[in-house]
Amino acid sequence: MRVDRKLRITVQTISLLGFLWLFLQTEYRGTDELAYPVSLLFRLDPLAFLAALFSPGTLSLFVLWPAVLLILLTLLLGRFFCGWFCPLGSLLDLFGGPLRQPGRLFRGWPKVKYYLLAGLVLAALCGLQLFGLFDPLSIFLRSLTLVVNPVWNLLANGLFDWLYQAKVPLVSPAADVVYPFFRDYLLAFHQPVFLLGFFTALTLLLLILLERVQPRFWCRNVCPLGALLGICSRYSLLQRSPQADCPECSLCSTKCRMGATNEDSAQSAECIRCLDCYDFCPWQRIEFHFTQRSSGRLDLSRRSLLTAAAGGALLAPLVAAAPLSARQRNDLIRPPGAVVEEEFLRSCIRCGECMKVCIGGALHPDFLRGGTFSLWSPVLVARLGYCEYDCTLCGQVCPTGAIRLLDIQEKRKTKIGLAVIDKNRCLPFARGEECLVCEEHCPTGKKAIVFDRRKVLVGSEVKEFQQPRVLSALCIGCGICETRCPVAGRSAIVVTNEGESRTPTRLV
Amino acid sequence: MIDRRQFIRQCLHTAGAAGVAGAVPQLLLPTPAGAAQGSVLVVRRGEDIPLLVRQTLDALGGMGRFVRPGETVVVKPNIGWDRPVEMAANTHPLVVQTVVQLCLEAGAGKVQVFDRTCNDPRRCYVSSGIQQAVNSLNSSKAKIVHMDRRAYRELDIPSGKALNRWSFYMPALEADRLINLPVAKHHSISTLTLGMKNLMGVIGGNRGMLHRKIAESLADLNSVIHSDLTLIDATRILLANGPQGGRLEDVEIRNTLIASPQVVTADAYAATLFGYQPQQIETIVAGHQRGLGEINLAKVKQL
Repeated sequence: MRVDRKLRITVQTISLLGFLWLFLQTEYRGTDELAYPVSLLFRLDPLAFLAALFSPGTLSLFVLWPAVLLILLTLLLGRFFCGWFCPLGSLLDLFGGPLRQPGRLFRGWPKVKYYLLAGLVLAALCGLQLFGLFDPLSIFLRSLTLVVNPVWNLLANGLFDWLYQAKVPLVSPAADVVYPFFRDYLLAFHQPVFLLGFFTALTLLLLILLERVQPRFWCRNVCPLGALLGICSRYSLLQRSPQADCPECSLCSTKCRMGATNEDSAQSAECIRCLDCYDFCPWQRIEFHFTQRSSGRLDLSRRSLLTAAAGGALLAPLVAAAPLSARQRNDLIRPPGAVVEEEFLRSCIRCGECMKVCIGGALHPDFLRGGTFSLWSPVLVARLGYCEYDCTLCGQVCPTGAIRLLDIQEKRKTKIGLAVIDKNRCLPFARGEECLVCEEHCPTGKKAIVFDRRKVLVGSEVKEFQQPRVLSALCIGCGICETRCPVAGRSAIVVTNEGESRTPTRLV
Repeated sequence: MIDRRQFIRQCLHTAGAAGVAGAVPQLLLPTPAGAAQGSVLVVRRGEDIPLLVRQTLDALGGMGRFVRPGETVVVKPNIGWDRPVEMAANTHPLVVQTVVQLCLEAGAGKVQVFDRTCNDPRRCYVSSGIQQAVNSLNSSKAKIVHMDRRAYRELDIPSGKALNRWSFYMPALEADRLINLPVAKHHSISTLTLGMKNLMGVIGGNRGMLHRKIAESLADLNSVIHSDLTLIDATRILLANGPQGGRLEDVEIRNTLIASPQVVTADAYAATLFGYQPQQIETIVAGHQRGLGEINLAKVKQL
């Protein structure tokens, strides 16, 4: 098989479909343990590796060894991942393609990504981990989770529903035939809905629109993973020749999607081995061969690099100087198995795998509950969904150990919070009406919600009522009571993070 | 174990029933829906569950009295909770399996099993063992399916006291026969959850709201959802921390099945297993007042 552009496109397509397939498998499918390594994408991710490396707690090489492998392969083959496998790169090629303006010369700022990487590394070393915000794999997966999948389900289900009701001749019966296949393999079991969906959509849209400015704008100028792989690529054994534009022709400078031959780029760090130049070089001069000789210096400005690093280092204390959100509020509920908050924020790379897999639709991306840079990290919003008592899926998919994998016995005892009854809204307290929904759904074997039988003066009449009470020793904060509370709008029983197992000082 | 007196009584009943059934020409048999002119009830005990189901149904005249060849049957067990069999939160899978099998033997054209669960439906179907039990019958006619979100419809409840409109699951209402297979459990507001409450699994809407007037609401719903046969699984019953339980200490093995064409009659007897008089359970009283069955067990003919 010839290694050429067509092979690259084939591999890109297959790997994108593969990651989409893994995404669809990131769901309960009848067994307590997931059958496939669904978070493979992040186990391959060197930035996830760095996040795990710089955060306290043990680094699980057992999970993250593929990232090391990727670095080694990059030292051998160069920045091939960006051209052949990165799903965000593939998306940009796919959707950005029609937006691109061929022949337009725009240099961009290829060095910015290295400065960004330097800033992120220093910030992470100083305790503020922001890789997740810029990690292309996180951007890809959380866009898929929070935007693409919900919209796809709404559209497809909307169409199927309409055909089901409208009974269009020929079309509706045909839809009935294909519907089970869609339902079982391509659609989510419950319609996914997420907070921050629109905001996340805008970030993805921006990256696609930037293709108008420059092909692979994100990859060339911003992507910190591209920068990291680029640095490795500079020393890689596989190099392209010629190194720069030939004197008689400058086609490479306009046609190369990465601008790898531009004067201000280090070719071997920018080239993503897409092999397009094989095809467009009129002289058939392009060759990739193994050599000891590295090409081009990165030529970063020492001053800019220092500024970026210092900026990153200073950002950490700047953010840490804000009052702790944990002191001010109690609605920051983290998934079961989440490590202590400080460590959690340093480990979580905002990939969205846990939100995708959450069977109760309970996990949502945070905006500000956990502080300025808690953005996109998972929080449990119990009014929207609850933590299923016998489920451990979020711990199974977390690639960095921000959510520890719990065995089922441990999970059942892990308190993620404590339910608190709002007596101003709870029906038996506030309105003198019978209700038992919270108690009925409480999943702990010996229920954490019990009833007190009380005589209550309702108007001029004495009625006897069962009024619920939460036993803090038994409640694990799963939130099913808050989800199911029949009171409209805000629930009459609310989960707070008081007593969460991961923070001993919050134990009640 | 039954004592000698019970044994003789049962023998006489069975002989009597057989005699009556034999005397009436097949054509004159009333339609299954109206099968019980007077209220009839069957209670059977035994440890072999498939055999027990068969004996119970035989005592009622066989599944053929309820299901005719070619008919569409919905079997509605309780699959509400993500709990394993031994916790007694869901109907025993062998009860479900045998009832489905009997429907097929009676010539049913299509048998569907479903429930609108409280925990995640996929987990409940698996953990309860019911999905596996139905699928292992390997019949193209019998299927356990998840609720189809498109098939709920709001209907008027003409005789409603607490509710005059609610959302119902049409496949359950449109089926030729509906067989109600609850498990007998403790429940802290309605005291017990039995046949009438089990039919909450074929309605839509915000079910939590119903608990404010649970007895009248259930009577209203049962006046719309007509079940042809109620078979209460009391092979093991949940005595506390219901309706989902989760502790073996709260489960008591009773090896009993209760069956009646009328939901209230079956519920009334089941209440006695927990040491209650049926008149003490508001839901049963409300159901009896709507003509859904007999509350006074002395008036019920035990077969």
